[in-house]
Amino acid sequence: MVLEWEPTLETLPAFNRLLVTGHPTDWDPAGVSARLDQLMARAVSGPLPEIPCAEAIALPACYDTAVAPDLAEVAGRTGMASSEVVRLHAEGRYTVLATGFAPGFAYLGDVASAMAVPRRTAPRQSVPAGSIGLADRRTGVYPSSGPGGWQLIGRVPPSLFADASERLTRFSPGQPVSFRVISLKDFEREA
Amino acid sequence: MSARVIKAGPLTTVQDLGRKGQARLGLSPGGAMDRRAFLWANRLLENAPDVPSLEVTMGGFEVIFERSTTIAVVGAECPVTVDGRARESWRTLEIQAGQTLRLGFARSGLRAYLAFPGGLQVASFAGSASVVMREGLPGSLGRPVSGGEILRWHANPESLGASADSHRGLVPPRFRPARGPFLTVEFIPAYEWTEFSGEDCESLLSAAWTVTPVSDRVACRLNGPPLLSGPKVLDSAPLVDGTIQVLADGTPLVFMRDRPTIGGYAKLGAVLPAHLDRLAQARPGSVVRFVVGDPDAARTEAARMDSFFGVRT
Repeated sequence: MVLEWEPTLETLPAFNRLLVTGHPTDWDPAGVSARLDQLMARAVSGPLPEIPCAEAIALPACYDTAVAPDLAEVAGRTGMASSEVVRLHAEGRYTVLATGFAPGFAYLGDVASAMAVPRRTAPRQSVPAGSIGLADRRTGVYPSSGPGGWQLIGRVPPSLFADASERLTRFSPGQPVSFRVISLKDFEREA
Repeated sequence: MSARVIKAGPLTTVQDLGRKGQARLGLSPGGAMDRRAFLWANRLLENAPDVPSLEVTMGGFEVIFERSTTIAVVGAECPVTVDGRARESWRTLEIQAGQTLRLGFARSGLRAYLAFPGGLQVASFAGSASVVMREGLPGSLGRPVSGGEILRWHANPESLGASADSHRGLVPPRFRPARGPFLTVEFIPAYEWTEFSGEDCESLLSAAWTVTPVSDRVACRLNGPPLLSGPKVLDSAPLVDGTIQVLADGTPLVFMRDRPTIGGYAKLGAVLPAHLDRLAQARPGSVVRFVVGDPDAARTEAARMDSFFGVRT
């Protein structure tokens, strides 16, 4: 989002919130809130402005049980067959709702309500890079290995996140994201 | 110019004023925990305000210098010795070739800043040399300083004479913060403040909060009466340095420099920047009280600090 206003240092959208950062010495809260009200009014009354967002991306995803440790649990909790969970997840058309948690991590939504499951009660100490996680109505890909509490239902070849600057910039808010099913063989070749 | 670290102590990291404008990438701002102390250390050496220096946590740091130079030590009250002889901190120190500087364990405060002429020569990423350990930043940016490491800096001959003029080579006592086990921090109520019960808001303001030992560069964690009335937040919201977040068990924490960019629990507001510097020096066991601050006064204070140090913090 572009505020086109000099004192704005940074804007950070996350879900239904927007953080606007400015330097305390050159703006006043009344001015900020008046400016935001004005922008909001324009947004709800007129046509939506063209918001530049990154190109749609289709991530290769392997849902083989060899790389999907929680697929059976998700199936059990939702009363669906594992193949049905995979089909629903892979058919989903998602939008980046927020980036954060870890550098390069994107919250994608919304996941079909039929497969919304709570996060694991005890987070894993280390989740492999590329893991596809599921929690509530959100899904996402862990760009690097680290602790994580989401249910793991597949993996994207981690080579997609090997380069540090690519890892950080692959996703941005508003970007459309989908998954493309690949076999375990293809996953191993691309990993 | 170089020096070799003999002992790194419990935690010593390279810091500057942190990464600005990188939240969209999910990157922590990082940067010196006590900005004021950091800025003083560079100022004493007539360095640019934001060049990288060392943040020494708790002390226990030892370094041997290859060549004669002048450094500055500001912040936590660590006993400073050069070749075993006691020296003052909050000032520049002349070091001769072959001498060993030691920062003993902090008697009060938590973080001391060790600045070098012209600033340390270190790698930089996304506009900053600040080390953030939990993010897997490339190379040395992801890890603390370790024993045996060689420190290099940009020798800056003009600043070497600073200590000759004693007025310029030290931080005047009136600018050195009082330290003790009790501190009051000002914050601005915000976020879900109005959704907590009146009792919980009152508890935040009246309780004596104890800083717990698991506090670190990510967050200052507090112990006290559990604040359980907050709303369950489904989606994470953007954080700032100083955001007060209440975890599911009702314990509050104050996010510090190595915080995540967004957080998924209910939040009560944010600690004012100048007070965050003070909280950065609060040792485990310190007692913190919260009071509602005045945003206008905070802005005036920020403007004064920026013009004094010649930087936009």
